[in-house]
Amino acid sequence: MFMIELVICFLATIGFGVIFSVPKRALLLGGGIGVIAYSIFSIALFFEASPVFSTALASLVAAVISHLLARLVRIPVTTLAIPGIIPLVPGSRAYFTMLSFVEGEYLKGLEYGVETMLRAGAIAAGLVFALAVFSFGKGIGHRYETNR
Amino acid sequence: MGKADKVMDICLLAGEIMLTYGAETYRVEETIERMAKAASFINVHCFATTTGIFLSFEEKGKEDSMQMVRVDDRLQDLNKVTEVNQVSREFVNGDLTVEEALVKLKEIAKAPVPYPLSLIHLSAGVAGGGFAFLFGGGWPDLFPAFLAAILTSVTVVEFERYLKVRFAAEFVAAFLGGSLAIALVFFGLGSDVNQVVIGSLMPLVPGVPLTNAVRDLMSGDLVAGVSRGAEALLTSLSIASGVAFAISLFL
Repeated sequence: MFMIELVICFLATIGFGVIFSVPKRALLLGGGIGVIAYSIFSIALFFEASPVFSTALASLVAAVISHLLARLVRIPVTTLAIPGIIPLVPGSRAYFTMLSFVEGEYLKGLEYGVETMLRAGAIAAGLVFALAVFSFGKGIGHRYETNR
Repeated sequence: MGKADKVMDICLLAGEIMLTYGAETYRVEETIERMAKAASFINVHCFATTTGIFLSFEEKGKEDSMQMVRVDDRLQDLNKVTEVNQVSREFVNGDLTVEEALVKLKEIAKAPVPYPLSLIHLSAGVAGGGFAFLFGGGWPDLFPAFLAAILTSVTVVEFERYLKVRFAAEFVAAFLGGSLAIALVFFGLGSDVNQVVIGSLMPLVPGVPLTNAVRDLMSGDLVAGVSRGAEALLTSLSIASGVAFAISLFL
């Protein structure tokens, strides 16, 4: 059953890659990163980690792999990272937020809305952390000029 | 036309293509600065936001030159970003002359999307159906979500082609896709109406602007990051209101 999910995830991620016109040589790589992200997300959920933590972990791993592969095949990181994190997008939570507000259940809507925001934030956090590691030595925004 | 003008042209053309088709701001600035420096100009400064690029540099012994371009469209075509990246890398390494680079960049600017439109619609369907299944729908939800996602994708492409309205296209696409999803479930295809609707909306998710907004904010391009984030938020809001309209009408 899990294998079927992974195959469908692979196809759906490649579909997204085509929508965003990811170059042909990066399509399969992007799909593979998407599958890895999704399987890490599911495995973390299976071990009863919170959805937000699972999302952050999966997004971090996907971003790290995208950075490494992007250097290897010499293409911009975004072309790999975007398909990679697509399976983590909290689409269903966002939809249920909207649905609850439409039905007038504002408290439930807020609950879903906060979860959506947290999961989106977790994706961003994973991306940002990988980025911080990979821009070693050329980062900006230091608090003090230590090396002057 | 002096060398400065020609280099200015290719730098701004490269930047414009990258920014239009969804590159991050820092990549645009870095590419332009590297190209100008490789053409032996000094005092190179580039400032790019989501909607325009400023570039100034100085030719040794002559005056500063400064130009800007305005970028109105923001589309999604990561292939063009990759190709411009390639051209700039070759130019910086000295494998391309200014004229050759200009020809190549013009070719890239004119080139159509790398995949045929029918394949894009088909993959929108695959993506929609796949995510309807992955987000907790069952097998019966896969096919109706596939159909509805194709309708969403076709609507958003055709609407933008003929009317050129930015956020209304997403609104109409979300409305039509959501309506078809509800109708298909009503006529017995598919079991869970929510999952089918989610699947039908997935092709509209503003993935590129959202990721780029995070990236821009992190690299310190606060103006570009916030404006891109605002654009992604507006897109999401128009999707949400479109499908909310469909739900309140039909459900």
